[in-house]
Amino acid sequence: MIRRQFSTLVIFASLFTLFSIFFSTTLGSVDLSLSQVLKSLFVCTDNNSSCGVEPLYQRIVWEIRLPRILMAFLTGAGLSITGAILQSVTRNPLADPYLFGISSGASLGAVLAISTISGAIVSITVGALLGGFFSVFLMLALAGNAALKVERLLLSGVAVSFMLGAFTSLVVYYSDPETATTLLFWMMGSFSNSSWQQLPLPLITIVVGLALFILYRHWINAIQAGDEGAYTLGIPVSRLRLLMLIVCSMITAVLVAHVGGIGFVGLMVPHICRFIVGSQLYKVLPMCIAVGGSFMIWVDVVARSILDQQVLPVGIVTSAIGSFFFFVILKTRSRSV
Amino acid sequence: MSSVEKNQSKTNSVIFSAHELSWRVGDHAILKKLSFDISNGEFVGIIGPNGAGKSSLLRCLYGKNTPSNGTLTFQSKMVQDFTRRELAQSIAVVVQEPPTNFDMNVSDVVAMGLIPHRPLLSFSTRHDLELIERAIEEVELQDKANADFNTLSGGEKQRVMIARAIVQQPDVLILDEPTNHLDVKHQIEVLQLAKNMGITVILSIHDLNIASAFCDRLLLMDEGEILANGSCANVLTTENLQSVFKIKATIDGHPFHQGQRITYDFLGGMQ
Repeated sequence: MIRRQFSTLVIFASLFTLFSIFFSTTLGSVDLSLSQVLKSLFVCTDNNSSCGVEPLYQRIVWEIRLPRILMAFLTGAGLSITGAILQSVTRNPLADPYLFGISSGASLGAVLAISTISGAIVSITVGALLGGFFSVFLMLALAGNAALKVERLLLSGVAVSFMLGAFTSLVVYYSDPETATTLLFWMMGSFSNSSWQQLPLPLITIVVGLALFILYRHWINAIQAGDEGAYTLGIPVSRLRLLMLIVCSMITAVLVAHVGGIGFVGLMVPHICRFIVGSQLYKVLPMCIAVGGSFMIWVDVVARSILDQQVLPVGIVTSAIGSFFFFVILKTRSRSV
Repeated sequence: MSSVEKNQSKTNSVIFSAHELSWRVGDHAILKKLSFDISNGEFVGIIGPNGAGKSSLLRCLYGKNTPSNGTLTFQSKMVQDFTRRELAQSIAVVVQEPPTNFDMNVSDVVAMGLIPHRPLLSFSTRHDLELIERAIEEVELQDKANADFNTLSGGEKQRVMIARAIVQQPDVLILDEPTNHLDVKHQIEVLQLAKNMGITVILSIHDLNIASAFCDRLLLMDEGEILANGSCANVLTTENLQSVFKIKATIDGHPFHQGQRITYDFLGGMQ
């Protein structure tokens, strides 16, 4: 019975995701109808109006809105599964790429790349990846032998996060005003620059990461229950945790490079998903993809429609909703204790 | 070969053998030159005061602690020469773990017993599900199979852990203080379930009366050394209890079973 409930949920969530993708394509500075969107996507060819949709609208759908919406979906899904895995392997429900300093490291790398090399996506991605790895390395080095203990790992992650955040601010402070504005806007997160060319790398990274998460799902589930017990089941606990940290930092870094800093999605979406389907990863991960992806699509809709003639950075919207959610968790947790 | 035959063919063969086994953390010797054998099928209790080294010894047995000196063999092979997975295929362990924030239902926890036997990329087969179901029936938790593990009582949690061990199909079951925080009925229930598995069982335990009722043999530890090793009658003596636990006790035959009955002498002068 529970199995059936779960598959119903997955079907419902997938349908909602599809609906979000198509419906959000209708929204924007030019309002389109759902039929115009669907026609542009599935009927129209060759950019002419024989299918009943003006070529301009077709281009808006294909070249501006769809890549942007897909990028939002990938970002939400990627950050959510990353958060879910980090929370599981550290047994800490408050873990996410930000808390661990991974996002700060990736941001620092990206900011350095933008200000010293170029704003090309290749250099930003390489910078973010290096920054992400550096933050993991720094966290492990700071924790030393205590890295075997989850609590210590988390504390040193927080320290790294602040340290690298400070360096990022320093780089922004010493940049010329024009670059500083670019950096600031980029750090707050935005899907404005999304294009089809930018989609493959995040997609591949997330698919590879997800494949690893699914491959190791039984082991990660066992770590959720406790390190010692997982060890007695033959699981290389510390090595697995390190591998997962590295995979998570890669996903985070690639996403940060493409859309900038977007916080709290990785923290709150896994919570919502676990609340709905329980803590088994084979249930949590698909839900995270659907819920996180759809959530991000709608956040982007809010970000580009809440103010006239102006697009708010997505990071601001997620942080605002996220911090509110944080209070809710704290409230319910203190009640259950 | 059925598991019963497998056990019979190995009966009385030595399964664990320690020779001058030492384990230290830095300069601090936790276990000091321990030598003992454990035979196949034995139910062995490790007793001793808090900090005697009981858990450290158990951790050596399941490969978590690597001996600093001396040798420890499992099935005639050095424990450290086994891979972690090989050990997990033969040794099931029930440890005390702090509760987690992640809710898992009973059958999810029991299913973890399959981990040592299945390749990384695998899906539950019908056979696996039957195995899990039977183990849950064995510990009489059928009606809680979908309950959240964290909401169970202490006794139920231990029964779930035994069910997980049953699914693991080990040769040895190691339990670290399995009866802690349980009421008398549940203490007996958990040990009875462990005994029912019909395999070698090694556990640390505080209640000497219950130890004497269940164990074939006792190892009495204090300050990292084994002070007595033998039948309950030989280990549970007035002198041993006085020297290790610093308590006076009267020991006589138990009216209901072959073991000892220990009566603590509170009024006479607990030191």
